[in-house]
Amino acid sequence: MRADDNLPDDGGLQHLDEMTCLLYIERQLDRARAQEVSAHTQECAACRTLLRALERESRLLTRAMLEEEEALPARLAQFQERARRSMQWIWTVAFGLAATGVYALYSTYVAPLQTELEKDGFGGSNLLSLLIFQGAFWKGWQSMSTLLEVLALITLAGFAVAFFRKRVRRGSVLALVLTGFCASLLLQPAPAMASETRRGESVGVAQDEIIKGDIFLFGERVRIDGTVEGDVFLFGHNANVAGHVKGDVIAFAQTLEVNGQVDGNVRAFTNTLTIRGTVAKNVLTFDEVVNLESAGKVGGSLTLFVETLNLEGVLGRDLFMFGKHLALSGKIDGAVKLKGDLLTINSSAQVAGPIHFEGNKEPEVSPQAKLASPVDYHKMEHKPQYLEGHYYVWQVIWLAAFVIFGLVLFQLMPRFASEAVSSAERYGASFGLGVLVFFGVPIAAVIACVTVVGLFVGISSFFIWYAALYFAQLIVGAMVGQWLMGPTRETWPLIGRMAVGIVIVRIATVVPAVGGWIKFGIILWGLGAISLALYNRFQPTLAPNATSGPYMPPPLPPNTTVGGMQPA
Amino acid sequence: MSAPGKPEPTEAIARARTGDADAWGELYREYAPAIFRFCRRALPTREDAEDATMDIFAKLMRDNKLQQYDQSRSFTAWLYKVAANHCWDILRRRKTRQDKETEDLENVPLEHPDPNQLDRLIEQRTSEEVRRALDKLGSRARMALVMRYYSDMSYDEIADALGVRRAFVGVVLLRARHELRQALGQSGALAAGGTT
Repeated sequence: MRADDNLPDDGGLQHLDEMTCLLYIERQLDRARAQEVSAHTQECAACRTLLRALERESRLLTRAMLEEEEALPARLAQFQERARRSMQWIWTVAFGLAATGVYALYSTYVAPLQTELEKDGFGGSNLLSLLIFQGAFWKGWQSMSTLLEVLALITLAGFAVAFFRKRVRRGSVLALVLTGFCASLLLQPAPAMASETRRGESVGVAQDEIIKGDIFLFGERVRIDGTVEGDVFLFGHNANVAGHVKGDVIAFAQTLEVNGQVDGNVRAFTNTLTIRGTVAKNVLTFDEVVNLESAGKVGGSLTLFVETLNLEGVLGRDLFMFGKHLALSGKIDGAVKLKGDLLTINSSAQVAGPIHFEGNKEPEVSPQAKLASPVDYHKMEHKPQYLEGHYYVWQVIWLAAFVIFGLVLFQLMPRFASEAVSSAERYGASFGLGVLVFFGVPIAAVIACVTVVGLFVGISSFFIWYAALYFAQLIVGAMVGQWLMGPTRETWPLIGRMAVGIVIVRIATVVPAVGGWIKFGIILWGLGAISLALYNRFQPTLAPNATSGPYMPPPLPPNTTVGGMQPA
Repeated sequence: MSAPGKPEPTEAIARARTGDADAWGELYREYAPAIFRFCRRALPTREDAEDATMDIFAKLMRDNKLQQYDQSRSFTAWLYKVAANHCWDILRRRKTRQDKETEDLENVPLEHPDPNQLDRLIEQRTSEEVRRALDKLGSRARMALVMRYYSDMSYDEIADALGVRRAFVGVVLLRARHELRQALGQSGALAAGGTT
């Protein structure tokens, strides 16, 4: 846009067009063109006036826009405080988790301990036992389980609020949505509930009773004499399945006896499990003692993490055992794989498949026992792991797996990874939150499994928590990498630092004696950092001391009304 | 907004990046008024401006957008850029007055308005009248003027925010000034008849 080419003549002098003048005062022309314009305005009064008018117009615009005719709206001034309040649901969740944790601790540890103490004569006359173990203090919590379910619902509603807040800003619509949500909960027909819950000192299913769906049983003594067509979830001190369960049995109990028939699987976390009846499918159990008595039969496989197994009955498929002592007198139609201390095979034993035993002592095998093949025995070696070559190979493989896992996660969630690493710099908060999450989430997950929140939520939470234990190490690795190589916010440099840092972290965690504790500390730290980053994501909390009055207008920013050449 | 020569709130930014609520509070108190005024100029209604201001800060905090800020550059400028992008997104979604703005940007106006008449117009108009006239402009015109003359954004930044080529930012600005003059009631004589 050259003036000479485009502009009208004014007594032999061509004027600059307005575009050129504007670009000139805004310093957007190149040096040569700006010099031409400058030279032209020395001679042309009209263009000089136009330049001046455009500059004045710029100043007028800036002044008009910067002048403050309105005070800062109260809504904005109060935004900080409101934002802080709106995020208080996080504390509701925290309270919910803490409450469920207290309940879990009570039902899992305190109540059984209380019973044991009472048996041992600690009736509760001293202050400590009065406060901690006395029934009056804790009994009220039993009836709190319903309240906990409500609390869980409120927590869910809190998440719903947070979810809808992002999409619906108008309060009325939000209120409508929440009202609908609450109404739908209230109007939920009772028969639609697929499960039933029973609580009490002594609970169960009577002999002639038929439960159509699943049943949750909480009590000191739990007994099933009738029929359950769904799954059974047992939580108690002494449990006895004497009736017929057509689904699975999931049990958390001091002692569990299966005297009846279970068509599904048995998953048990108990001290003593005794099977005198029939389990049609598999048994997976973590116990101290398991007895499969002579009348007992397991149709599927038996997987145990147990101290002692006395197998006198019939096992339809394989036996996998990690424990101390297996005493085998019954019949196994599959293979046996045992890693433990001692294997005793008595004269009445029958094993159709191979027997692999890795243990400390030679197996004691009766010559009358009917075995498909001799016991394949390997003595367990106890030299330190780090003296074995394959230990280092595995460490390298693990390290590579960590780096790949980190690479994928940091690529999938670059911003979140960066936030988590930043959060790790807040050491105190990270550790504190790490401790809470490390212990709180599994407890909450177990509670979620047995309350209305649901099995899916509980199991999902547990798996996410478990994955986070590994992610935590990566975050700390990235943190260590940043210490060595300097901070960064870019994804690939951060991945590089993570790779370097995780090497150091892994080396630290395999140091004999203290490595385990280092690893534990690293996990707490990283887990806390991840939780903190998550918390910050949902937390537009600002300082509570927000000012709310009208504000002072800021000084004018420099504007562009100064004409002249743009530096080359 | 930060005064010229006032140091950048580096320390508060660093703390805010780690989720420090007090640091966010400091930044909010310092910058929310100016961002609100920016939104007030760029968006049609006061309520829109309030919503937009809250959304901008909520996004900064919730999404931790602050991580994207390059500390070697001006925080004020960066914040204005975030606000401009947000406001322009809102306006684009609403598609208000888009008909007026779909005209060919390459059609550069080459008028030479009567400088004295323009001078008089500027002399006679008050800031209040200019603000009212701004409210009558199309979205792009108003947005361009606000970005340039309120927040002092560069042509590159304006081009980036409006999604136009840098070469046409001047055209957008000049057209916006013409629209403004029309709204001020004098443009006919200035833009069309002023050429000598």
